[in-house]
Amino acid sequence: MTVVGRAWNRLTLPGKLVFTIVPFLLVGAIVVIALVVIFGQLVLDILAANLPIVRFAVAATAVLLMSVPTAFLIIYMEMKVIALMNLRVGPDRVGPYGSLLSVVHGLKVLMKEDFTPTGADRIVFTLAPVVVYLASVMSLLVIPFAPGLFGQDLNVGLLYFFAVGGLSVVGLLMAGWSSFNKYSLLGGLRSAAQIISYEIQLTLSVVGVLILAGTMSLNQIVLHQSGSFLDWFAFKQPLGLLIFFIAATAEANRTPFDLTEADSEIVAGFATEYSGMRFGFFFFAEYVNVFIMSALLVTLFFGGWTAPFDWPWPVHVDLNPGALGVGLLFLLALAPLVGTIVLAAPFWIARSSMPTWQALIIGFVLFNLLVGLGVFALAFLGWEWVVGLFWFLGKTYAFVFTFVWMRGTLPRVRIDQLMGFAWKWLLPASLLNLFVTAGAIVALGR
Amino acid sequence: MTATIPGRRYASEDDPRVILEEQVGVFEPVPPFPPRTEREAEFYTLGDGEMFLNMGPQHPSTHGVLRVVLKINGEVVTDLDPVLGYLHRGVEKLCENADYHQAICYLDPLEYVSSLFCEWPAVMAFEKLLDVEVPRRAEYIRVLSGELLRVASHALFMGWMALDLGGLTPILWSFIERDEIVEMLGSLTGARMLFNYYRIGGVNGDLNHEFMSRLGDWMTRATEQHEANVRLLNENEIFVRRMRGLGQVDRETALRMCMTGPNLRAAGVPFDVRRSHPYSVYPELDFDIPTRDEGDCLARYLLRLDEVKQSLRIIDQCLHQMPDGPVIAKLPRLLRPRPGRAYAAVESPRGQYAIYGISDGTDQPFRMRIHDPSFVHLQSVGLLMPGHLIADTMAVMASLDPIMGGVDK
Repeated sequence: MTVVGRAWNRLTLPGKLVFTIVPFLLVGAIVVIALVVIFGQLVLDILAANLPIVRFAVAATAVLLMSVPTAFLIIYMEMKVIALMNLRVGPDRVGPYGSLLSVVHGLKVLMKEDFTPTGADRIVFTLAPVVVYLASVMSLLVIPFAPGLFGQDLNVGLLYFFAVGGLSVVGLLMAGWSSFNKYSLLGGLRSAAQIISYEIQLTLSVVGVLILAGTMSLNQIVLHQSGSFLDWFAFKQPLGLLIFFIAATAEANRTPFDLTEADSEIVAGFATEYSGMRFGFFFFAEYVNVFIMSALLVTLFFGGWTAPFDWPWPVHVDLNPGALGVGLLFLLALAPLVGTIVLAAPFWIARSSMPTWQALIIGFVLFNLLVGLGVFALAFLGWEWVVGLFWFLGKTYAFVFTFVWMRGTLPRVRIDQLMGFAWKWLLPASLLNLFVTAGAIVALGR
Repeated sequence: MTATIPGRRYASEDDPRVILEEQVGVFEPVPPFPPRTEREAEFYTLGDGEMFLNMGPQHPSTHGVLRVVLKINGEVVTDLDPVLGYLHRGVEKLCENADYHQAICYLDPLEYVSSLFCEWPAVMAFEKLLDVEVPRRAEYIRVLSGELLRVASHALFMGWMALDLGGLTPILWSFIERDEIVEMLGSLTGARMLFNYYRIGGVNGDLNHEFMSRLGDWMTRATEQHEANVRLLNENEIFVRRMRGLGQVDRETALRMCMTGPNLRAAGVPFDVRRSHPYSVYPELDFDIPTRDEGDCLARYLLRLDEVKQSLRIIDQCLHQMPDGPVIAKLPRLLRPRPGRAYAAVESPRGQYAIYGISDGTDQPFRMRIHDPSFVHLQSVGLLMPGHLIADTMAVMASLDPIMGGVDK
């Protein structure tokens, strides 16, 4: 055995790992630096020349990456909220208050067998989840999260939204047809009937908003509602809001309109034969849909990222940390230590039974929370997009909660009631809303 | 033939995938060929635009292992064929090979949601064969525990009903109520589900302190809790609209289909075994027989809610009128009743639960016929379901409240 071999055998497992990975990392870093030095300027020039394409690619990637944590968050929210409504505890094992359980769900879904039933149309069967998921995620592109924080400001944004959102029914039909299962087929047909019917109501109910705002760009619609909460379209279009909310529930396949995956009737509907990550895509798409529908509801009727009231006094934060000089270094080095100790002291003094290290941990956590809050407050005051994102996500998750709440409360409607409600009640109501709005605009001469 | 290594396949005909590929086709629930009856031949012939949908025995909401072959036209069920026997254990035959004490514990798992009501008619029939007089305290304890279990069973029914209509919450709320009651009965009988508590000539063990304290605790808020559970659904527009007029049976049809219990009373016939063929100490107790005239799923649902209130009344009276004394009659270890026949029926939460026992003078029953209301009610699904949508078949089935343990015996 050579010297190298003997030395290698003496290493522990972590040692072996470190000695394997570190050289690779070093070489990789050198290569990256070299590439940046040689080609960096060239790449930057190309990117600068094609800014719209770059912007689109970045936005699409960001939206794709954002959708999975959003789904995780909503899944956790649903598990926990419905558990509390059912007088259960809900998830409480993985992570603090079970908050990592949906991440574990995601990993579990990845590890499961990817099964295709015999007799299924393999290509369509594989493509269906992709279509459904992409249809959901692509709708996210036009939603304005905050001033300057959106994928694309299309002047036909709303049209794009409905067009792309309507694609998901194609995916559901594909899944239902290709699965070679009667329950899937029934689920797919139900979803086609349901989503197409409610798509009309959904589109008609926002025409009133379009007339009022005079534009289809979601950014412009939000800007139209800026001011106090009295300027929101919810107060000018209450009927439209109601119709939109009901149709959005049906569009997102949520209780009480979750007929496509009614587990007490057609097992799991279009997703019956799916397993593993293909099922995961359907599952994520469903929750992303909930987020999207809430986001659109907020954008159209509840002022999007605008704050419900003006901040009563103007605050200008002119922080230039660089001006502190060496003092900043001392602050960064000392503040955590001092803060931790100061915050730990009350616990340590008040409870003699508490060991010092526990008090220190509490102090550390509290200090981090305080700093986080402080940084958020500064960002909130200083940057417009943080304010916008705060209000937008706050409002959106309020409506996500409403969807979850309805799931915990209501039973499911029947398919004939569902269709009858759409065509006999919602359609006339949305037409009425449209005519009244248009008439008011003409009468008031605006 | 070449030498083969075990575990490896060579010929393509050995490959299960190949066999599957050949056999693959749309699954049709094919009957035994040739069809045994005219009805079978008619059912398994598809009309224009019709298709079979096999529901169960492994389906989220067929209440156990019931298999229903639905013939559907779009979403409308045109015909159906219930297939039974997935839970058959031959209980009647098992009872013939056990002595009289042992036979009782075979009956428990029949109606596993309210298992005391399976023991009750058996012990009553055996007591008739043996001419035993049951102590009054034992009778009161039987009524008390039976009515508690009726409340528990109806609570579970409420939850399942809502779950089959897509409501998530009521099942968990009613399970809380049921859990309190089965814990209570657990402290009385030693088991939470299959109690095996009634004995020939009385009951196994007197009321104990834990049971009484749990019962008192529960009784203080039973009405309130019941009202809270009822409020979850009763005024829900979606729920009421789906249930009203669904699976309607009129008086005559209900009687013709031999319905009993809440299903019959919801059709307007005030037949209750407790009142019409009084047994135990029910004649001494004051309670009403609620009836409804509509005969639809909503009536069956609301009627059970009314019955819970009457059960609470009965429990209250039992506790007030409970006499002192022994809880079991003195009987020999080995029972040899006189040769003869005895029939006993009780009002279980699902209807008339009856046992017809024949004794030949030995220590084992010669024959035991179990009359299970779930089985009888299941024959009317063929009458109630056609013409409804797939979603409603589940609601109709839930409203009849069958328990497959008793159906398949």
